[in-house]
Amino acid sequence: MKDASKKRKNYNFKIGCVITVFVLLFVLVGMIWTPYPPEAVDASAKLSGSSLKHPFGCDQLGRDILSRVMAGSRITLFAAFGTVLLGGSIGILIGAFTGYFGGILDEVLMRIMDVMFAFPSILLSLVVIAVLGPGNYQTVLALGIAFVPSFARIVRSEFIRCKELEYVRLARLSGAGNLRIMFVHILPNIRPVLLSSLMIGFNNAVLAEASLSYLGIGVQPPYASLGRMLSEAQAYIFVSPGSCIWPGLVLILMILGFSLMSDGIKTEVHERKRWKRKKVY
Amino acid sequence: MKQVIKKIITTVLTLVIVSFLLFLAFELIPGDPARAKLGTDATPEQIAALRAQMGLDRPLLERYVTWLFAFFTGDFGTSYSYSMPVGEMILDKLPITVTLTLMAFCMTVIISIPLAILMAKHEGGITDSILSAINQVIMAVPPFFSGILLTLFFGVLLKLFVPGDFVSYDVDMGKFLSYLFFPALAIALPKIAMAVKMLKSSLLAEMKNDYTKTAYSRGNDTSGVLYKHVLKNAFLPVLTFFGMALADIFTGSIVVEKVFNIPGIGRILMTSISNRDYPVVEAIIMMMALVVIVTNLCVDLIYRKMDPRITVE
Repeated sequence: MKDASKKRKNYNFKIGCVITVFVLLFVLVGMIWTPYPPEAVDASAKLSGSSLKHPFGCDQLGRDILSRVMAGSRITLFAAFGTVLLGGSIGILIGAFTGYFGGILDEVLMRIMDVMFAFPSILLSLVVIAVLGPGNYQTVLALGIAFVPSFARIVRSEFIRCKELEYVRLARLSGAGNLRIMFVHILPNIRPVLLSSLMIGFNNAVLAEASLSYLGIGVQPPYASLGRMLSEAQAYIFVSPGSCIWPGLVLILMILGFSLMSDGIKTEVHERKRWKRKKVY
Repeated sequence: MKQVIKKIITTVLTLVIVSFLLFLAFELIPGDPARAKLGTDATPEQIAALRAQMGLDRPLLERYVTWLFAFFTGDFGTSYSYSMPVGEMILDKLPITVTLTLMAFCMTVIISIPLAILMAKHEGGITDSILSAINQVIMAVPPFFSGILLTLFFGVLLKLFVPGDFVSYDVDMGKFLSYLFFPALAIALPKIAMAVKMLKSSLLAEMKNDYTKTAYSRGNDTSGVLYKHVLKNAFLPVLTFFGMALADIFTGSIVVEKVFNIPGIGRILMTSISNRDYPVVEAIIMMMALVVIVTNLCVDLIYRKMDPRITVE
């Protein structure tokens, strides 16, 4: 029975990889070539369904949905990467310093992180957007800030776990400085945990960006993000359901791919190290 | 008991910090609300008079304390764009959002627990595999898209409800509740999927413990072991998740309210953000923060009650 479940979980990782590669290819191709320019209007094909000319159909203005989805998923993907990059790097820095050094800095920063962590990320990003005003950079900034605490907490607990391990002591004996130990010795060793949490973070970022754009306060026109396309297409759901379904489908595939991969990595880590995530109280 | 008091003090402290940060954030916004209200051709005297009237000429800390006390006495300030008390604006919309949240939360709890038990019981079987696969996909569906799909499927194809035909609770309670069913389901679906996954893995982990073997050796069948012994222990980690889910559902309702065209708190918040109506935004976000913090406190207290080990530490 155990073998069966193990096998299935390994499938998870592979399926996730395949889906992600597919989505990335879709986005990459969209960067170089789209069937039509995303903003080009074909007045004769307004709200048309799938056809040879427009495989995904056209939206209310007669814009080709396939082209728009290709362009839109790029925007969504970039926004999510930006968010993870920003939130991840700040989170890793905070987690590393607080976990490694401890002390008063740890207390203060972690209290703040706990407070922030208790908040749903959409609420935090709403505050930032309410203050800064809606916009593309503001969206990434807002989401990035909202994602700092989750990374900081994970990295911190990993650093606390690692800092007294044999290899760290040896590195210290051989004269390595604190910074070197932190970023050359410990950081690469927590790679699997980090990777899977970055992937989950990426998923949440895609989801949060899509929600904000759907609400109209995320990525601003003329950029077509997937969430925005969905909110525009929803008014025509009776006439042309396709214009809603395709952007949503790409969104699902994007999230599904990464979540399957992060699941796979987690299982792998679990199997290999019997690593158990402990909640630090 | 001592720990409980300590926990409550921490919560109050958190509340103070959060409210101060929130207040500060809105203070940092460039621009003068008095000037914005009066327009460009107001004289400096008029502006000064309005500033005094709005209390903007007093020091920051004093204004913060006044604001916080006013908030807890139910005075949420006055909306810039509607010139009416924020409390009035929110009050009759609040039941809508709260009902939606509670419905979604109940669905999450009622559906996820039996489903997880079922899947854990038949681990590795066909039922489990199929449900797990579906679960994995549902987890990847954003709530607003599942809302759109539900609208499409149940509203447009099966005609079980009319999208956008919202009836307020003071007009017809029955219609109000039945309209909220699908929105609540849309919010609940991803949460159900996550809860099922967590509870299932928690159950399976508990099943590997020694006490499970003891329970089996004493003549219990799988159901007996599951319900009498494992479930209570396996439920503990999931409890935290349910707490977070409640907070998440409450804030996530903002998005789903838009999908189903429900005039709740979310809609006021969105219009206020685009109108730069800061007192309203401030009040709603502070209210949501309060709900989140209080929920966390409750979860923590229930957790202590259910797991005496924590109190010993």
